[in-house]
Amino acid sequence: MKKIYILCIEDEPEVLEAIERDMGVLEDSFPLETAENTTEARQVIAEILEQGDHIGLILCDHVMPGENGVDLLVELNKQEKTRASRKVLVTGQAGLDATIQAVNEAELSHYVAKPWDPEKLIAAAKLLLTEYILETGLDPKPYMEVLDGARLLKAIHEKGLISDS
Amino acid sequence: MKLNKQTIALLLGLIGLVAPLLMPLEGLNFAGQITLGIFLMAAVFWLLEPIPIFATSVVVILLQVFFLSGQGLLGDYLGQIEGYSPQSFRDFYGTLASPIIILFLGGFCLAAASVKYGLDRNLTRWLLRPFGTRSQYVCLGLMVATATLSAFMSNTATTAMMITVVIPIIAQLDKADPFRKVVALCIPFAANIGGIATPIGTPPNAIALAALREQGIEITFSTWMMVAVPLVAVMLLVAWRLLLWIFPPATERFEVKFEGTLDKSPAAIGAYCVFGLTVLLWVTEALHGISSTVIAFIPIALLPALSVLDKSDIRGFSWEVLWLVAGGISLGLSLEQTGLAAWLVDLVSWGALSGFMLFAVFGAVGFGLALFISNTVAATILVPLAVGLGVSGAAGADFNMTILILVIAVTVSFPMVLPISTPPNAIAMSTGIIQTKDMARSGLIIGLCGFGVTLAFGVFYFPFFF
Repeated sequence: MKKIYILCIEDEPEVLEAIERDMGVLEDSFPLETAENTTEARQVIAEILEQGDHIGLILCDHVMPGENGVDLLVELNKQEKTRASRKVLVTGQAGLDATIQAVNEAELSHYVAKPWDPEKLIAAAKLLLTEYILETGLDPKPYMEVLDGARLLKAIHEKGLISDS
Repeated sequence: MKLNKQTIALLLGLIGLVAPLLMPLEGLNFAGQITLGIFLMAAVFWLLEPIPIFATSVVVILLQVFFLSGQGLLGDYLGQIEGYSPQSFRDFYGTLASPIIILFLGGFCLAAASVKYGLDRNLTRWLLRPFGTRSQYVCLGLMVATATLSAFMSNTATTAMMITVVIPIIAQLDKADPFRKVVALCIPFAANIGGIATPIGTPPNAIALAALREQGIEITFSTWMMVAVPLVAVMLLVAWRLLLWIFPPATERFEVKFEGTLDKSPAAIGAYCVFGLTVLLWVTEALHGISSTVIAFIPIALLPALSVLDKSDIRGFSWEVLWLVAGGISLGLSLEQTGLAAWLVDLVSWGALSGFMLFAVFGAVGFGLALFISNTVAATILVPLAVGLGVSGAAGADFNMTILILVIAVTVSFPMVLPISTPPNAIAMSTGIIQTKDMARSGLIIGLCGFGVTLAFGVFYFPFFF
């Protein structure tokens, strides 16, 4: 079965650790990959896609050494295989311009201001991964218990997301 | 190349495809050998799923068109085989629009219209009303409503709708109350059982009907219902009592509220009328004599014409189910026509088995297969063998092919032991209310009862009709 990854790009080790801890509840269903900068992120993304797996959710910091996060998100939004990936900016320092760019050009799905409330972050991640599955039409059966079950059930009833076999 | 599970499955399938061509198989002509290869490959792919099951079905049609049709690569060569004439590629393509596929497409149109205008929810509301608020009768009501809807709609979509409504209500019950489990299990079980009730209830029915049509046996919609509805009714009652026995409820009263009112917009009225008309004409087939497969085109044409269904609704149909069924029908054509089915059947000496034992053997294999793989695929593999038994005359004089095929079609709907057994089971598991062992225990007992009841019906009740 193809896996759906969560990718986290963050240069500060303590912050990365906090996100890893919060996303741990989804780990069984959605493996987490991390990167410290955009260059490493591109490598990780290429590796995941090469295996034929999916990237469902990208949590990205803005201010990092080298290229900034919003530019990477804009680029990923232009690429076929990462367009549907839900993109989240996790930052304390993105200015208005960068944020506007992220919304308009990267179709940002969600904005998380540091410091965040873990429960809200997990809820957002579940919602965004549900949207990803609905948009891509992937088999929702393995994820129904962890994600937004009500929304998936609605899609099964109304859109035939799963059919009889 | 990495040797993962998918690659191994693909390789095994390809070995299955080629192997029968490399060994001499006595009594089987070259076309039969090719068909055996396609059959083995399809069986491996359907079992191990290196590619989606509906994709395997269309690959089957591709291989048939290229290697078994008179117009394919081997057309001239196949034409020289004594006593055999290859089929036209049109026959294989034709399965994609066979009358049975059109019947299902008609069903899809009705289901889409009723979901779009909430007819299914309103029907559930009305169906539940007479059952009051005593918890055990509410449970029976839920089962009757689920089974009724799933007889005309997809079992999976019906389960999703019922679960959506019911889960918030059972969430309010005491966590230790076994009634929660009863409710969460009665819905998928009733959906699986309800699919048996009509020809369009679930895809395995299509495989059986198509195979029978090929043999010149046409079963009307009303005959199917007369045969199947009593069985469904018995099994709903059995499942209901067994669930209450396995998980004795603590709650005395339980109320299910379906919100909403009847949509009275012109499009919705159109949907109700077409739905009512089509179902009425289907169940009265014996009176007017117009085939249900002909009537099925009424909703296909009228619902878009009345703007009840639009472009996006049509795109949303489960087309892959039709591909799955068409591939199954197409494979069945070659199995019979090349003599492979009869040849396979001859490998076993069936003469020693009574009619009842044949039902039991085929039913048991169907039940076992459908536990783990798609019910439709289980029927696809077994129904042609039943046809082979009938055609070759290997089974003795008292053998009734029609009933055997019906027994297969019905029993493959009963395995509901595991979450993977059927999509409705998977949906029920995702609620988190039941554990796999709850489903396995109750599903196994009820499934085996279903198997037993089907055998009894096959011996004592079906012969009144066939």
